[in-house]
Amino acid sequence: MSTLAIGLPFIPGWDQLHPFIADLCLIGTIVAILLTPFFTRMANVACAVVALVGVGISLLALLVFGGGSTGLFFRGLLVADQFAVLWKVMLLVFVAGVIFMWFTTSMSTMHEGDGPEFFTLLIGATLGMSLMASTSNLLMLVIAVEMSSLPSYVLAGFRKTHRVGAEASLKYVLFGAVTSAMMIYGVSMLYGLYGTLHAGEVAKAMQAAGAGGSVLLIVAMLGLIIGIGFKISAVPFHFWCPDVFEGAGVDVAMFLSVASKGGALALLLRVLMEIASGLGYRNVPGVSLTALCVTIGVLGAITATVGNTAAFVQTNIKRLLAYSSIAHAGYMLCALSLLVQHNNQLATASGPVQLVGSAQAILLYLAVYLFMNLGAFTVAGLIWRVTGSEDINDYAALGRRAPLLAASMAIFMFSFVGLPPLAGFVAKLNLMVVLARNGGWWWALVVVIGINTIFSLYYYLRVVKVMYLSESDREDVAANPLGVGLAMASALMLVILFIGWGPLNRLATNYGRMYLSSQSAATGATAMAESR
Amino acid sequence: MDFLRHNLLTILIFLPMVGALVLLGLRTRDQVRWTAVGVTAATFLLSLLLFATYDWGQKGPYAYVQHDASGNAIHNSGVVQMVQQASWIPAFNIQYKVGIDGLSFPLVMLSTFICFLSCIASWNIQKMTKGYMALFLFLETGILGVFLSLDFFLFYVFFEVSLLPMYFLIGIWGGPRKEYAAIKFFLYTLVGSIGLLIVLIGTYLYSRGFNGDPNGTFDLVTLASPQFQAHLGTKIALASAVAKTFFVLLMIGFLIKVPAVPVHTWLPDAHVEAPTPISMILAAILLKMGGYGIFRIAYPLYPEAGKHLWLVFAVIGVVSIIYGALCAMAQTDFKKLVAYSSVSHMGFVTLGAAMMTPAAVNGALFMMIAHGITSAMMFFIVGVIYERAHHRELSRFGGLATTMPVYTGFSTVGCFANLGLPGLCGFIGEVMVLIGAFQAARPDSILMQQSQGGAYPWIITLAVISCFGVILTAGYMLWTIQRVFFGPEKPEYMGFAEVDQREVAILTPLTVMAIALGVLPWLMFFVFTQQTVSALFRILGVNV
Repeated sequence: MSTLAIGLPFIPGWDQLHPFIADLCLIGTIVAILLTPFFTRMANVACAVVALVGVGISLLALLVFGGGSTGLFFRGLLVADQFAVLWKVMLLVFVAGVIFMWFTTSMSTMHEGDGPEFFTLLIGATLGMSLMASTSNLLMLVIAVEMSSLPSYVLAGFRKTHRVGAEASLKYVLFGAVTSAMMIYGVSMLYGLYGTLHAGEVAKAMQAAGAGGSVLLIVAMLGLIIGIGFKISAVPFHFWCPDVFEGAGVDVAMFLSVASKGGALALLLRVLMEIASGLGYRNVPGVSLTALCVTIGVLGAITATVGNTAAFVQTNIKRLLAYSSIAHAGYMLCALSLLVQHNNQLATASGPVQLVGSAQAILLYLAVYLFMNLGAFTVAGLIWRVTGSEDINDYAALGRRAPLLAASMAIFMFSFVGLPPLAGFVAKLNLMVVLARNGGWWWALVVVIGINTIFSLYYYLRVVKVMYLSESDREDVAANPLGVGLAMASALMLVILFIGWGPLNRLATNYGRMYLSSQSAATGATAMAESR
Repeated sequence: MDFLRHNLLTILIFLPMVGALVLLGLRTRDQVRWTAVGVTAATFLLSLLLFATYDWGQKGPYAYVQHDASGNAIHNSGVVQMVQQASWIPAFNIQYKVGIDGLSFPLVMLSTFICFLSCIASWNIQKMTKGYMALFLFLETGILGVFLSLDFFLFYVFFEVSLLPMYFLIGIWGGPRKEYAAIKFFLYTLVGSIGLLIVLIGTYLYSRGFNGDPNGTFDLVTLASPQFQAHLGTKIALASAVAKTFFVLLMIGFLIKVPAVPVHTWLPDAHVEAPTPISMILAAILLKMGGYGIFRIAYPLYPEAGKHLWLVFAVIGVVSIIYGALCAMAQTDFKKLVAYSSVSHMGFVTLGAAMMTPAAVNGALFMMIAHGITSAMMFFIVGVIYERAHHRELSRFGGLATTMPVYTGFSTVGCFANLGLPGLCGFIGEVMVLIGAFQAARPDSILMQQSQGGAYPWIITLAVISCFGVILTAGYMLWTIQRVFFGPEKPEYMGFAEVDQREVAILTPLTVMAIALGVLPWLMFFVFTQQTVSALFRILGVNV
């Protein structure tokens, strides 16, 4: 299948459209948001409601029509499989949480009339992040990444009168532009080397042609990893993350912490898996899958370590959560390094749809991570709303001043560390088990994650310490009750997901199945090679 | 009654937690206090029912659990009894599995007993009583969960769960340096826990394929069997570097909790800052979680590695005994002295485990119970005088015997029990461990067989050195009695009130237990303890 071939006009039918019903609904939502100001004077609230309803409809449509199809669609530009479905479900639930949280924190400070822009950008970025999980085409990959990045740049600087926000936005744009350029450079090189934009076809070509110019290949792969690594905020492409989180509104920071990173992780996982399965899960002459594994694993280990150590000195809660999100992205990156043994063992002979260990680990981790971030940022936002401060030291004696918020926050912090009886522990343990199953050097990653957990205890616990152990005679914090409800619901969710690890695990395992277009052909080729 | 018999252990574990939730809905301070005391009392009374429901008449040969011909465990057939289990996370074969045997039985009794007493001791907590009592009850759930779970995962969860309330209890209700002490306690324990977690994952992965089950297992009863050792032997050599690493990680995790030198430094800080009742729980029960873990997990899972590395841990035990005693002698703070004496006494537990003779292991188990009684008593005694004098400087005390004769009486019994006077509980444990240590030098002992006689000089040397610990203990305890209670009366202590009824109510049961366990040590060496020790030694490859 040649991707760029010009043929008859392509008119997709329902069979092509229904796996992407959620994305279509999001597009509809954007249009609806843009039209809303014509009908009402209270555009901010109206747009928020429209966005929330739109996200709800997308979620419902996805659950009703979205599943069931697996394979390549839109002439190979998009992929539909269960992995993408679950990621989209989580993304939409999370975005609904973000909008809900907007009502309780930023609503009253937002300029009247800014709402339509804000929610258009938010839903637009969501669309990009949703598409990230369902493509393995290199061109579509670039489009999806840009589609999520460009609105994010604006969102980061959305507090227009805020100097720090403007600085953050500019940093974000500059960083993003450079890494995008590298990514596009890498992609074009891959196209030049192998003449196709399909990650799977690229891998097959690699297997057939061998090296084909190792230096070029390394540069191309690095470009790709850098571009996506920027979205994940993997070290050393993470510098934007704390500044943007500090400068942006709390809702935007929360949105970026999960949606942007999760989408990019899903994208990277799919591309890597396509390549790995195209290569038959082993090194071919001139193309070292091992090197790729090691690169990703080391990147993950460094990211986690840097994130955790840099968080030590933070006094701003949003910066602290930024470094924490870098660290957690690092843990998940470690899982992406499982390109060889374990995923291969899981591969069933029954066709191109595979159960992928790292997909399972990442889905489960994201499902838990989502609620931790949702809750922690909500608490930070609510307190900022009342006290106007994001300094952790101003959280002193919160245990007395806002008992429910403090208790929820403590639960989020302990869950971030990964202590039972909270779901953060389950997610981390599952990740470690999946890594350890490979044996050998993956044990090193397990140990790195373990040591990082000890590092991380100190700064997460500092928040708890300030809230409960420090004295303060400041007045009570009367936070928005809806927001408190959201925080408590997230906290409760963490306990429920811990006890209900069984169902959660089943869900992640069932949906950890990826469609890998390169698989059938590759196994066929291997079989042929072996029969000869 | 039948319902109770089947669910007793589960009820025991979760009753305090339910109590904590109920408590959060209460209004007045009195309601909160009475409810908390009521819940701990109910838990204690329920735990007494264990005496009735436990099957004493086990016939040998003893094993944790008997296996049928195809290698499947038969329910309730070994020394582990009253098992209740349910599948929790099928994909990982994680179960909710609780049960009781001679190892956990005395510790469960000790826990409910001490929790009840220290709940009464918490009567005068002024600051945020509701939060305190809720955390206290939550802690009791964690403790009982640790002693009763028979699933490694469940054990780990409870092990960590007991950590969180302790952090707050020290951190909020503690002394001047509470923040430092609380975070130090937390960090130290978490370091150990991460090691445990790695072994948890590793053991699970190695257990895949056992009994033809492609999934692994976390079941501690299944894992602690000669059959599993045979299975493990097909994956790794039983004394390989991997097995040794796992064993060491387990031991580090538990020795931090015990605590043994050199990872003991959190203990004096935590004790000095913690409020009196929390000190009681910390010393009497939380330290035992370490000792329990050694006998429940470390040795049964990696016995060969334990045999090879015995010297390391025997030396750690002896160093703890001597160094702890010397440190105690040098203290000027009464509470710190008691804290270091805990380090010294728990060294006997480590030594007893490392020597691997039935007498030593029995002694170590007895030592845990005896130390649970005496340390709780000592910390309460310190608390009583601190409440009156508002300082703990040993050098400033003196002549309390005339002002507070009843208190002095109780304290003297406590001190003598602590130093190991024959006739009181401290003596039996120490003596059994020392006898066991010397027995390890006999040619048929595990260590001598293992080293083909090469261990002889080491064993003798270590055993002899540890005997001096007993003398040192007597030294600092007697000196303490002299400095605090005897000597000339000091005017500033003349007006001190004698111990009140509440304090007597706490000290009396402890005193009774200290004497009872001392004169009737068979109270502890119930048949079931011997059965369990025998099952333990079967895994170590010896029939006793």
